[in-house]
Amino acid sequence: MIKNKLKQDMRVIGDVTLFTKDTFYCMLSRPFYLGRFLEQIIHLGIESLSITIVIGIVTGLVMTLQFGYGLEKFGGTLYVPAIVSLSLMRELAPIFTSLLIAGRIGSGISAEIGAMKVSQQIDAIRALGTNPMRVLVVPRVLASILSLPLLATLSAFMGILGGLTIANIEFNMTPGFYVNKVLSTIKLSDVFGSMAKCAFFGLVISILACFRGFETKDGTKGVGSSAKWVVVRTSIIILISDFFLSKILILIFD
Amino acid sequence: MQKILEVKNVFKNFGFKKVHNGVSFDLNLGETIGLLGPSGTGKSVLLRSIIGLEEIDDGEILYHHQRIDNLTEVELYKIRTRISYSFQNGALFDSDSVFENVAYPLFEHTKLNELEIEQKVMNVLRIINLEGAKDLMPSDLSGGMQKRVGLARAMILNPEILLYDEPTAGLDPSNVELVIDVMKKFKEQGISGILVTHDIPTALRICDRILILKDGVINFNGTTEEFENSNDSFVKTFLKYE
Repeated sequence: MIKNKLKQDMRVIGDVTLFTKDTFYCMLSRPFYLGRFLEQIIHLGIESLSITIVIGIVTGLVMTLQFGYGLEKFGGTLYVPAIVSLSLMRELAPIFTSLLIAGRIGSGISAEIGAMKVSQQIDAIRALGTNPMRVLVVPRVLASILSLPLLATLSAFMGILGGLTIANIEFNMTPGFYVNKVLSTIKLSDVFGSMAKCAFFGLVISILACFRGFETKDGTKGVGSSAKWVVVRTSIIILISDFFLSKILILIFD
Repeated sequence: MQKILEVKNVFKNFGFKKVHNGVSFDLNLGETIGLLGPSGTGKSVLLRSIIGLEEIDDGEILYHHQRIDNLTEVELYKIRTRISYSFQNGALFDSDSVFENVAYPLFEHTKLNELEIEQKVMNVLRIINLEGAKDLMPSDLSGGMQKRVGLARAMILNPEILLYDEPTAGLDPSNVELVIDVMKKFKEQGISGILVTHDIPTALRICDRILILKDGVINFNGTTEEFENSNDSFVKTFLKYE
């Protein structure tokens, strides 16, 4: 049984690799569906703005509150802006945003494509002489790779803003001091490193979601299980790969 | 008679299940043939194989004497603008309006401007009596309307062959009449067709020739008159029960 499961998992890894290869081939050759890409940017990116902003602000507020009172005992309140901004920019914003997108967008993509598969719409795209990889997958993958880093950066920025507010109200820290500390702590490499990580997570989420959508079987039940499969797999991959990506980024930039 | 499509000794299995066991027939220019047979005998699979949505295991499918069964997916895209497939359930894009569904092939395969595309789509919607539904979404349409929109989308590029997969299944008599009218209009325009159906009266009204698929092979191949007057016991039973 374990052998069969392992064999099945290896086959999925192989299929996902081939799917990724086909996606990149279609991405780098014509035709390109600009309209569909912009549609996905709105759907994946702009429609995720509000929840991203809320998550960023709340994380910044809570982090500042906890670190502020924790470090106050040791007279270390002054370090709060540096700790909060760095952890938000490097880890918390990318991870929280990516997990949120995996849940919101990953499941959505897989359910949408899965429903198209079971209702023969993907066959219809093929029967009308067009390539479903170009029509459905490339716009979603590109939009995801582009949107996620921008959303995570916005989330980090909103978190820092939330931190500033609570540092000012609770710990009497002046905005000027807070901003000065943040700017002297965060380097451009932190921002680019975070964006690179998110671009990778965006690729993972969209590729797995599209792949699973194309593999959907068994009608509406299959659509539901595909969405669940995507959320679980992408979340695990994001959390595990975050460790290795962080290590690589530290080796490169620190 | 000019053969435009030749299906030669086609074999197709799904796992251990043999679906086609040496299917052979031809389609002539301007002709419409009816492909009948008991449920589950692979009639729809045969249509899907012709257009390359299913790979065949053995045999040949020729379009204008050129093999198309061994073409790559990319090579097939061009063929699929000449051989169109009308899905049983319409398979309309549910996020696009009726107009967008019918216009899709024109945006993809022609260099027509938006005004020309609109004129062409409206002409086709007029043929299928749905010119007032252009802004509706597929979910707003009845089953019969969806099938007609599917037919319109399949013929918008003026294909040479149209493959109809049970276009009248599940429709009320008035909708059946509308679909038959549409198919007759396509036939008048010179589009050849293969009609998969269980609806024998419709097949007899539209088709020039009837084929029966049974046990993985073509069991009967003759004109509609030969079909109606056949002494073959299976054809007689089939006519009686269908």
